Amino acid sequence: MGLRLTVQVQLVLQALLRDPAREMYGLELSEETGLQPGTAYPILLRLEHEGWVTSRWEDVNPRAEKRPARRYYRLTAGGAVQASTALAGARRPKGAALRHLAQGDGVA
Amino acid sequence: MIPAIDPRYDARKKRARVAMFITAGATVVSSALGGTRFSGWQWVPWVLGLSLIIVFCAISMNAGGGLRARRGMSGISGLSGRGRGAGDRSDGKVAHRWHGLVMVSRMMPGPAGRRWLAEAESVLWEIAATRRATAVRSYLLSGPRLAAVMWAHEGLRWVRPGPRHPR
Repeated sequence: MGLRLTVQVQLVLQALLRDPAREMYGLELSEETGLQPGTAYPILLRLEHEGWVTSRWEDVNPRAEKRPARRYYRLTAGGAVQASTALAGARRPKGAALRHLAQGDGVA
Repeated sequence: MIPAIDPRYDARKKRARVAMFITAGATVVSSALGGTRFSGWQWVPWVLGLSLIIVFCAISMNAGGGLRARRGMSGISGLSGRGRGAGDRSDGKVAHRWHGLVMVSRMMPGPAGRRWLAEAESVLWEIAATRRATAVRSYLLSGPRLAAVMWAHEGLRWVRPGPRHPR
C-alpha cells in the first residue's frame, strides 16, 4: 500500500528534507513541524515501514545524561529522492490548514 | 482536580495480585492433585512448593523485569516522579496520565508497544512543562488507532510467508 501524502506527512517530510543527512529526534521534529509528538510518531513509523526513513536509539547512558535516550530519524538515500518527488507532485497545504496544525490538534 | 497518585496504592495492588496468584494456584493444585494422586496430607508440600514458585514469579513480574516490562528503554521511570528533580515534578494530572500511556502501550504488540512508550517517555521528558499535558494527550489520542494499525501489520506478518522476526 502506498503512502498517503496528508498535510501532516508533508510537514514531516519537509522538515526531514531541509537537511537530509541530519538526524532529528521526535521532539525536534514536533517543534519544527508544529505537530504534536503523538501525531508525528505514527507518521514516522509509516515512513519507516515504507523505507523512506531510518531510525536508531541514541547511544547514551540515561543515568549519566539524566534523560532517556532519544530516537533519531533520518531520511534514507532512496527516501530522500522519493520524498522530494512526492512533495513536488503534492498539493501545497493551505495556510488555514497549517494554522490549524500549529494550534496542535491535528491528527494524521 | 485529579488527586496525586498515592504511592502506597501500587504496593497494595501488587500485594493483592500476589495473594490472588497464591490463592488461585493453591486452589487449582489442591483440587487437581490433592484428591487423586496423594493420600492423606502428602499434597501439602506440593501445594506449598508450587505456591512459592507462583509467588516468586509474581514478584519478579511486578518488580519491573517481568514478562512484559514496559518501563521504556531508559531505565529511568516515566513521569511518575523517580529520576526527576523535585522542582520539575509534573502535576498529578500528568503523572496520572503516564499510567494511561502505559495502558495504551499494553494494547500494542510487545516490541512495538515498548518502543512507543520509550519514545513517548523520551519526548515528554524533554518537552517544556507547559506543553507536556497536551503532548501526553496527543499520545493518548493517537495510541489506540496506532495499536490497531500495529496489530493489523502483525496479523499480515503472520499470514504472509517468510521470516517472522520483529523489526
